[in-house]
Amino acid sequence: MDPFIHLENVSMIYGNNGTSAAALDGVSLSIDAGEYVVITGESGAGKSTLLTILGGLQVPSSGAVSMRGVDLSMLSADGLADFRRETIGFIFQAYHLLPYLSARENVMVPMSPLRMSGRAKADRADALLSSVGLPGKEDRLPSELSGGECQRVAIARALVHDPPVLLADEPTGNLDSTTGEQILDLFSGLHKSGKTVLMVTHNRANLFRASRAIRLRDGRVAEDDPFLAPYQAL
Amino acid sequence: MNIRKLAWKNLLRRKTRAVFTGLGIFLGIGTFVALASLTAQMEGAVRDKLDKFGANILVTPRAEQLSLGFGDISLGGAQVAHAKLTMEDRKAIESIALKDRLRIVAPYLLAAADASGKDFVWMGVSAADIGQARPWWKISGSTIREREEVILGSEAAAALDKGPGGTVTSGNRKFRVAGVLAPTGEKEDAMVIADIRDVQALGKNPKGVTFFEVAALCKDCPVEDIVAQIGGALPGAKVSAIRQVVESRKAAVDQFRKLGLGVSAIVLAIAGLMVFVTVMGSVQERTREIGVLRAVGFRRRAILSLLFWESGWVSLVSSVSGAAVGLIAAMLASPLFGIERGGIAPSPALIGVAIGMTLGLLGAIPPARKAAALSPTEAIRSL
Ligand SMILES: Nc1ncnc2c1ncn2[C@@H]1O[C@H](COP(=O)(O)OP(=O)(O)OP(=O)(O)O)[C@@H](O)[C@H]1O
Ligand SMILES: [Mg+2]
Repeated sequence: MDPFIHLENVSMIYGNNGTSAAALDGVSLSIDAGEYVVITGESGAGKSTLLTILGGLQVPSSGAVSMRGVDLSMLSADGLADFRRETIGFIFQAYHLLPYLSARENVMVPMSPLRMSGRAKADRADALLSSVGLPGKEDRLPSELSGGECQRVAIARALVHDPPVLLADEPTGNLDSTTGEQILDLFSGLHKSGKTVLMVTHNRANLFRASRAIRLRDGRVAEDDPFLAPYQAL
Repeated sequence: MNIRKLAWKNLLRRKTRAVFTGLGIFLGIGTFVALASLTAQMEGAVRDKLDKFGANILVTPRAEQLSLGFGDISLGGAQVAHAKLTMEDRKAIESIALKDRLRIVAPYLLAAADASGKDFVWMGVSAADIGQARPWWKISGSTIREREEVILGSEAAAALDKGPGGTVTSGNRKFRVAGVLAPTGEKEDAMVIADIRDVQALGKNPKGVTFFEVAALCKDCPVEDIVAQIGGALPGAKVSAIRQVVESRKAAVDQFRKLGLGVSAIVLAIAGLMVFVTVMGSVQERTREIGVLRAVGFRRRAILSLLFWESGWVSLVSSVSGAAVGLIAAMLASPLFGIERGGIAPSPALIGVAIGMTLGLLGAIPPARKAAALSPTEAIRSL
């Protein structure tokens, strides 16, 4: 049986001049459904690159990526868009909310190409916003919300299509430690509810919550330990 | 929240940009609609004049020494009785095969004769037909209704120092001045106008006619055929379709239309370019936002339709308001162009809105395609 997520000898070389170094250099990985993986490493180690390739946001220079048995290299641009919508929820360090939309509208954005009544979309958004702890703030603009609240809105947006996989790139990077803990609690809850979570983080506290830690160095997997890595990393 | 609403919200957020984008279309469509509806009104007015006022055919004797066009006919004191046409010819003209298409057949006789001691050219007209044949005449007093009445051209009235109610004598005959003609700019300003039978008597030229003016009934009449048929009926006459005031006005309108189309085309091209530039700028400015939308699963078509909706909203609002302003401008300006009954010409406005929408959408095509072609990571470098 295929693993849930599988990378086979994935390399990524940016640009096309021969001198540029590989951002990812022959990475092979298998991740099972329901894992909570933290990815660590020095700046420039290739963490974000790995995450965007996993999320179908870019195509690797070589190697194969498959998820739920689907080879991503076989998908067209629109096929990848559908894949992202149905399978992946992205959470960014900088939230990337649309500043001119309220919290509710931001959560509704991924549903806007869908043929659904506006009422149904709004109800779904409100339910998600209260599930991430923001009831009553649906009509606020991002500029009227704290950083932690913005990240909650972004998480609610990522959950709109109920994707099995959440990809988060330093989701607590812009937050103070208390607020970061609250966000990490949310991720733990989502993991318990069955989501597969891959999170790039510098926050050591997070290592204890994860089921697996992967450390990248110069585009290669330097350590991959289901249980011990967190303690060694300390 | 749907794509349409997302586009609208985005526009509201970038009001200045939206206004700037729309301004090009607004000005372009405004100019186009104003010029197009002015042209349409002018054409309508000219058509009316052609139908109502137009004497399109002149019938003169085939005489070498007589140059064509009555404005040019010079008449010396004695050689008045030059007319070789007679009142009988009117019946011949009125019995041609296309007689149903003739509206007026008006005889005129020009004769030099004395009026209260001074030499004048008298113009004999058919009193019954003159109102229709010269509808632009503005007469203070009244027109001639019976014999022994005259209308004085403005200069003649001044020279004789007579007004309505006065009397003009010629030989032993007395004529009551029925009215005075407001200046027309034509030769009749210096003439004394009377019933043709009186002028025939004065000129000792019974039944004589200098020329006939024939007005056909419609703008697209087979004028050439009518000319040929009258020529056949009157072998001794020269029959020519005349270019008259109204027709030269028509040429002016044609010129104006060409000018208007040229100006509109330039303004509209600039408007399209402005849409292109501003939408392109907005795409560049929003690369990251577009990347986020791609990341949450927007297909390329959804990005395209988002940008088309944005541009569509702008061009709808700006072309509708441009068309409205253009119509109002045309209405206000129409008196300057000599249009008496300026009305609303709806078709230029509709065409204008259609052009504005088309322009807005066409201008958005290249940037929208560019946006849709961005790879999502290129779009969110900052991930
Ligand atoms: N679009 C790009 N074009 C060229 N080089 C790139 C691009 N994106 C990343 N790189 C390079 O690839 C390498 C890996 O980058 P990546 O962003 O994956 O690192 P990272 O581990 O996420 O670092 P950080 O912790 O600073 O976010 C770096 O050397 C980076 O300079
Ligand atoms: Mg990174």
